[in-house]
Amino acid sequence: MEGDERVSHATPEKVIAPKRQRMLDMVLALSGLKEESTIPLSKVKDELENLKKELAPLTDAIIAFPDSYFEKFLESVKKSNIAAEINDRGVLKESISNLEQALSTADSVSLKALNKILTDALNRMTEVEEHHDVSADIDLASTISTLSDFISEIELITDEFEKAAETEADSARSELVTLAESLKETQEKIEKDPDAALDELQKLGSQTRYGPGLRSIAQVKRGKREGRIDDAQFNRLVKENLLTEINRGVILFILSKMGSKTVVQIGELMQTPPQTIQNALVTMIQRGEVEMVGLDGDAPVFSRVLTETPNATLLMKRIVQQVRGMVKSLEGETTETMKEALGRLQTLLERLKILGAYNEALLSDSINKLREAVDSVTESVLTAQTTDDADNLKLLISAGLEAFARFRLKITLEKGPSLVSGTNVYGEKLDPEVYKNMMDTYLDNELERGTILILIRELGALTVHDLAERTNIPSDRILRHLLRMKRDELLIIAGENHGYILYDVPRTLSEAEISIQTTSDLALHLSAAREELQRILSDLKASDIGKLANSLEVFSKARDKLTSVRVQGTVIDETTLNDVEDKIRSAVLLTYRTRAKIPSTRPKVTIEDLLDIDVPSVLDEYRSQMGYAPLLGFGTIEWEQSKCLGCKSCEITCPEHAIELKPRIEIPKFFEISDDALSQLPSNRSLFYRTVQNLAKIKPSNELILEKEAPGFGTVEVDLWLCVACRTCVRRCPGPEGGALELELKWSLPEVVKHITSTS
Amino acid sequence: MDDNKSAALICTCGKQLQLKYDFLETQVSKMNLVASATVHDFVCQEEGLAKIAETLKANDGHLVIAACSSQKIQPRIDQYLKSHDIDSTQIQYVNIREHSAWVHKDIDEATKKSADMIRGTLARSAKAVKRSVEQKEVSPHVTVIGGGIAGIESALSLSNLGYKVVLLEIKDELGGHVQSLPVVAPTGKSGKEILSGRLEAIKNDKDITIMTKVRVKFVSGEQGNFSIHYLSDDDEEKTLNTSAIVLATGFKEFKPTSMEEYRYGKNPDVITQFELSCMLSEGKLARPSDGAPIKEVVMVQCVGSRSEDYKKDCSKLCCTFAIDNSLEILERIPDATVRIVYMDIRVPFENEMIYKESREKGVDYIRGRVSMTWEHEGKTYVRIYDSLLDKYLDIPVDLLVLSSAILPSDGTLELSETLGYAVEDDGHVKELYGKLRRNETRRRGVVAVGGITRPQFVFEAITDAQAGALVIHNELQGGTIHTVARGAVLNVDDCVGCSLCAQQCPRGVPLMIEQTEAEESDEEQKILFKAAIDTLNCHACGVCQSLCPSGATQLNFLSNDQLWSEIDAVLEGAGPENPITLCFYCEECSVSTIDIVGTRRMEYPASTRLIPVPCAGRVSIIDILKAFEHGASTVMIAACEKDRCHIGGTGNEIAQVQVDVARDILNAIGWKGERVDMFRMFSAEPERFTKAVNEMVKRAKDLGPTPVHDGTAGKWREMSE
Repeated sequence: MEGDERVSHATPEKVIAPKRQRMLDMVLALSGLKEESTIPLSKVKDELENLKKELAPLTDAIIAFPDSYFEKFLESVKKSNIAAEINDRGVLKESISNLEQALSTADSVSLKALNKILTDALNRMTEVEEHHDVSADIDLASTISTLSDFISEIELITDEFEKAAETEADSARSELVTLAESLKETQEKIEKDPDAALDELQKLGSQTRYGPGLRSIAQVKRGKREGRIDDAQFNRLVKENLLTEINRGVILFILSKMGSKTVVQIGELMQTPPQTIQNALVTMIQRGEVEMVGLDGDAPVFSRVLTETPNATLLMKRIVQQVRGMVKSLEGETTETMKEALGRLQTLLERLKILGAYNEALLSDSINKLREAVDSVTESVLTAQTTDDADNLKLLISAGLEAFARFRLKITLEKGPSLVSGTNVYGEKLDPEVYKNMMDTYLDNELERGTILILIRELGALTVHDLAERTNIPSDRILRHLLRMKRDELLIIAGENHGYILYDVPRTLSEAEISIQTTSDLALHLSAAREELQRILSDLKASDIGKLANSLEVFSKARDKLTSVRVQGTVIDETTLNDVEDKIRSAVLLTYRTRAKIPSTRPKVTIEDLLDIDVPSVLDEYRSQMGYAPLLGFGTIEWEQSKCLGCKSCEITCPEHAIELKPRIEIPKFFEISDDALSQLPSNRSLFYRTVQNLAKIKPSNELILEKEAPGFGTVEVDLWLCVACRTCVRRCPGPEGGALELELKWSLPEVVKHITSTS
Repeated sequence: MDDNKSAALICTCGKQLQLKYDFLETQVSKMNLVASATVHDFVCQEEGLAKIAETLKANDGHLVIAACSSQKIQPRIDQYLKSHDIDSTQIQYVNIREHSAWVHKDIDEATKKSADMIRGTLARSAKAVKRSVEQKEVSPHVTVIGGGIAGIESALSLSNLGYKVVLLEIKDELGGHVQSLPVVAPTGKSGKEILSGRLEAIKNDKDITIMTKVRVKFVSGEQGNFSIHYLSDDDEEKTLNTSAIVLATGFKEFKPTSMEEYRYGKNPDVITQFELSCMLSEGKLARPSDGAPIKEVVMVQCVGSRSEDYKKDCSKLCCTFAIDNSLEILERIPDATVRIVYMDIRVPFENEMIYKESREKGVDYIRGRVSMTWEHEGKTYVRIYDSLLDKYLDIPVDLLVLSSAILPSDGTLELSETLGYAVEDDGHVKELYGKLRRNETRRRGVVAVGGITRPQFVFEAITDAQAGALVIHNELQGGTIHTVARGAVLNVDDCVGCSLCAQQCPRGVPLMIEQTEAEESDEEQKILFKAAIDTLNCHACGVCQSLCPSGATQLNFLSNDQLWSEIDAVLEGAGPENPITLCFYCEECSVSTIDIVGTRRMEYPASTRLIPVPCAGRVSIIDILKAFEHGASTVMIAACEKDRCHIGGTGNEIAQVQVDVARDILNAIGWKGERVDMFRMFSAEPERFTKAVNEMVKRAKDLGPTPVHDGTAGKWREMSE
């Protein structure tokens, strides 16, 4: 009851100070990390009902407008026959695919008819091209058949390698068993006598020669000796961290002596649960001691990171890539043979990778023969004329040409050798090995990029997914190439398809092409948005508010874009577009207004997320969104003692309690005020300083700490984190010549964040 | 301003004072600022008064009277001059009797001291200005906040004094706690009976407007022009203009839900004493849980009172109320058993009679505490520790009554923020001065009456309310305030707007006015303020003057120049061979103490020079430093005792701060901080002054010549060059 709170001394909960909390919230809101919620949860339902009521008179017209537009659009397409003006097959294909997708979500007579027109146009175009294709047939079978023999040779040698590795592993196995046993013994000792156990661990560490583990053990020992680590901490460290380190040593022992292994295999060998191995491995990967080299079924196979990969493995990798490129370019039996060869080569590459190190010399002969054969096949494929009607061959050939034609590549190829033989302008000489590796990756990259470019140019905008399917290059590599080329401005982003980004080359399209492309693209978006809108409005939920806003935005943007679509110079269905404009806009605004009121469901963020925030720009954004700025920045206040009257006005007016007059007098400064400054001060104040100066025998060197607050005296201090840089204190200060305070804005949020973490 | 020469009248007190008057007369005649020096035997008698009138006329009002204590002589002179229509506001007094002749054996020394102090007073008089009568009309309107017995009584009294009164009550009807008291000791009447006549009178009074269901939010303005912002019963925010405020918001009873041992709030048969009062006055005396008749009653005293965890002190009323209620129970249910568990029974005044009566009627008093309460098979039990028997008693009860603590009502602290009254540690409103200014609060025009200042019996609250009404009548004078303006006067041009005066004024007189017009044209977008001081509202302590950095606000009877030239003049001749202790004394406690030292002829060294100030808060750090600059060896301030500052409660504390800072600064600049000190006076203990003054004279001797005396003051300049 009400009597309690006044007299009882309940200990206050340790919470962040309200002002501080408010500032924190504001920073979060500013950086878009938290929305301002203005209504309680209980009111959300009413708010949604309101919105629904307000939207009702608008939505019918909005939903109906695309149908009306497309009908008119179809008419004018038919009338003007602009389909015939389209020369870019990519545009046609893309438009057709968009329309088909749109039709799959919702039926539309006009879109169907439009699709038919475009499909016909595409078919006509393809027929024409087929006539132009010149057929040429070259038999590659003989060359290809030789590949198989070389591969078999290499396979035999690899078998030998694996046998040798197995033998080595066997001899290591007995050593491992002793290792594992002593490890187990030590583990049991840890509880009873951690000190002795640590000594044992150290011995094991030296057997496995695992450097990081030995270092940690030494550190812990020293920490204990010097009293920095207490007993509980020591026990925990030995039991957890150091044991894991030794496990890592054993793992590395297995991987180097017994070849690459999966987690389960290592676990079995060490008689340790796979979970423990897994945990230990994560750090080893980070430390660069272990890498994943392949898959055994679904399980990743790990290997010791070699300082140098054998050249044979690298060579094999290149061959695989080359063959992979060819498979797509061939047809009939040769394709099958090539595919088979590719399969075997890939397996071989995996096996070599798992072997890690092996006796390269044994392999060099056969692998060189294989390379020569593959090179000659490539050559013949490149020069061959085929009757193949698939685009791919032609494309890949030109991909190669494209790549070689590119200026940078030419330079590299011309200058490279001279870098090795001669010296560069700095008198440095390039190591031929390094140069070779460099050139290998370089050519790989350039070839792949060239392929990608050609494909996109011919087929229209493509996604990573499309490209991976067509080229057999792994998608992560494709993405890397795409990003690189985007940075070089060879590609642009052309939108997205099923969540994948579409990349395209910069193109110059005709009006007809643009109109068809835009309209079909918008048809797709509109049909999806319409479905979404109808679904959401049938049962409006708080969680759908974002989607509602998005789908209305789609309508809004589509409408705007459609006003720029012209068929033979005229805008289609202009009246409908104009009619619906205001309706869409009000619907969007209403939705955003409601969204702003509904409490956010977005996840909270950590302070670390604030580190990269650019405060001024975020503040500007906040101001333009919210119409006001509750925070003007973070500032430091410069205070000048000689002009301060100690009146506390700054402290009293500060809206955030950020500035305070502390009971401390910087008395040495009393003696440093110039006569000029003294004459500017209010009469009694300057009289006071003069009297003190007249009386003083000595000039004090230390500041005075007062026992309690004294009106008229003190030192001003500002809490950077509480200060919102509103300048109120500066404006209020009655000191002479503009006052004793000056504000300097600070923008470093990390600095502010440091304050939060240190004081809350 | 030019210095005016003043006449000096030196009184021999009927030739009783041991001073060398001839020497004194020649000395004074030679002084720069004297117009004439006259020795007179009876300044306070008819012929003396006539002489004063004559001298005043001849010297344009500039007159120094060197006689006995101005406390004694001034009222008489003022009255005489007033009756002769002569202005007396420029006369300066110097006490050569109690402050000199009566306390120093050595006639030469006493004469020298008297001459020095006359010289000082002449300097003060030289710059004295005439003060005139000022008149101010305020609306004769008072607002009473709280419609309990105290509020009703003060409303009635104020109405009788001719004021329009608005009575604000937060509940829907008037009457407060008293309404529910079955019997009010020692009258034997019920609360309703006591209220009925007053309620009728207040309803029929056309000058009293009653507003119920009203909550005061905040108050702005000052005496004569307050605005009360309140929420009306339909939750609308309204304002009400009024000239003064009576705060009669009463008390609230502590609800001991947090005290586990009583199970209050969980067991319906556990109630508070006031809840029992309500039951009794409603006539429904039955077990709250099931309506069964009541046979066993246990009352527990000091629930929450006298407890370190809750209210630290005694709530004063609870014992009497418990006895009242137990007698009432016994009257209605003669065979009931009433046990009162107590720590000490405290029944003041004639309430002792009902205590006696209750013992005779068989109320059982158990000295001890209740340690636990529990329910078993529908019955309530308490375990009482009887500290006299050293036994635990488990007793079944029908009713457990808790005499819980009395606390100030809700919102007292919130209202203090704008109403400006001080609040004590326990939350009650602090009275201006416990002995002499009980109903006044720190804020001028706001009085506090009834339970809001401390727990009060009904009759106390009534006398309190009547006293409060008279305090307000004294201030408002029926709406036409007519008085000589004696206090701080602000020179607006000099005001820099620092608000130190408004922050520190003990009575909240200076108001800060934002200069919106000047702000508009200010290039640096400064927020500009100027103070405004209504001298008629001022209590003339001089705290604002001592803190003002620009000398904008100064007392019209003691300007900075007046005091500084007095310091200079009184210290003439002070030096290493003649070490002087300068004493500033307040004209409240200190002057009485020093006068009593005089009347009791308690001796102290004559190397002392005394300067009167209205309040210790008038002494600024500059005044202290000036004294040293002019050669004082030690400086002391005599002030009222802590919490007993007569002016407003804080003047002496502000002086203390000045002294503390002065000491720190002196220490820092190569002086000895002990050369300045502050002492608290108390007229009943005159030795406080002699002790203090002896101490400071001793320090003057022990510490030897000051840097001013030996020429090392200002030496830092050479050292740093």
